[in-house]
Amino acid sequence: MSVSTHDPVPTNVLDGAVREYSRDKVYVLTALVLAAITLVEVFTYAFPDFPVWADNMVIPVLLILMAVKFWIVAAIFMHLHFDKKILTVAFYSGLILAVAVYVAMLCMFRIFWPGSHT
Amino acid sequence: MAETVYSHESVREADAHAEAAHIEHDTNTGISNSKLAMWLFLASECLLFGGLITTYILYKHPLDGPTPEEIYDIPFTSTSSFVLLMSSLTMVLAVSAIERGDHHRLRVWTAATAALGATFIAGQVYEFTVFYREGLGFTTSRFSSAFYTLTGFHGVHVTIGIIMLMSLLFLSLRGKLPEHRSETVEIVGLYWHFVDIVWIVIFAVVYLIP
Repeated sequence: MSVSTHDPVPTNVLDGAVREYSRDKVYVLTALVLAAITLVEVFTYAFPDFPVWADNMVIPVLLILMAVKFWIVAAIFMHLHFDKKILTVAFYSGLILAVAVYVAMLCMFRIFWPGSHT
Repeated sequence: MAETVYSHESVREADAHAEAAHIEHDTNTGISNSKLAMWLFLASECLLFGGLITTYILYKHPLDGPTPEEIYDIPFTSTSSFVLLMSSLTMVLAVSAIERGDHHRLRVWTAATAALGATFIAGQVYEFTVFYREGLGFTTSRFSSAFYTLTGFHGVHVTIGIIMLMSLLFLSLRGKLPEHRSETVEIVGLYWHFVDIVWIVIFAVVYLIP
């Protein structure tokens, strides 16, 4: 069976999907959004005095941009947005467990306290 | 309508029966065991890379040897990151192509993904070589050990992904990857995208966060 790249992939040819997968155009637009976010990330290095991320705001800004990129790739490219919820639960359970364990570990080493790395 | 390109009679015959193969999987979840297993594997990989990234954060301030600020080449690494990000686009287009029954585009996008992955690895080898010449060996400092272990592990994952992509390309050229086996491509795609999102985290945490 062949369909145009302008049409979504119907669910009857997909494994475990509850919605039709995107058209190719959506994937290209998603990649452009990811490229734009990456450009903003690089700008935080190139222009450290830019008002948005000046005054110690660069770390929160970078973490938010990183989380947005992570979510976009998982939801659109890895099809979590279109597949059954159990896959989202399985993946994010592992991710949340990992984050919780390692944030606790970093707290044990007092990494978030001033002067802890010297 | 996109033109479907068949180079092997076996692919054409297999695809003729494809719709029957795409019914709901006979499992409790309605998802194939292979796909569910890959997602669980990726969840466990979060713990592996979480440990390596945490170790890097703990050790990123070296007691001796070059510091991260002295040695990182952010413009170069940004370009590598962009290359890997675009490989995710070509990968998802390969998955999309086989799900639409377009074997020609499957091969083109799979080969493009492997080429972009190989470019990323070449960049990493170059970066490691430059760092080594600037005095940052694996045992130079706790920072260098943590850095090489983290980025090296990621590089090994990318290399394994390239091998899987080349295997897909080989299978497709031999006519052994019909449309009803599109899930195989999707599972390799999941692995590849995961490698990309791990780099998204490494790029921000290791290279950009001061």
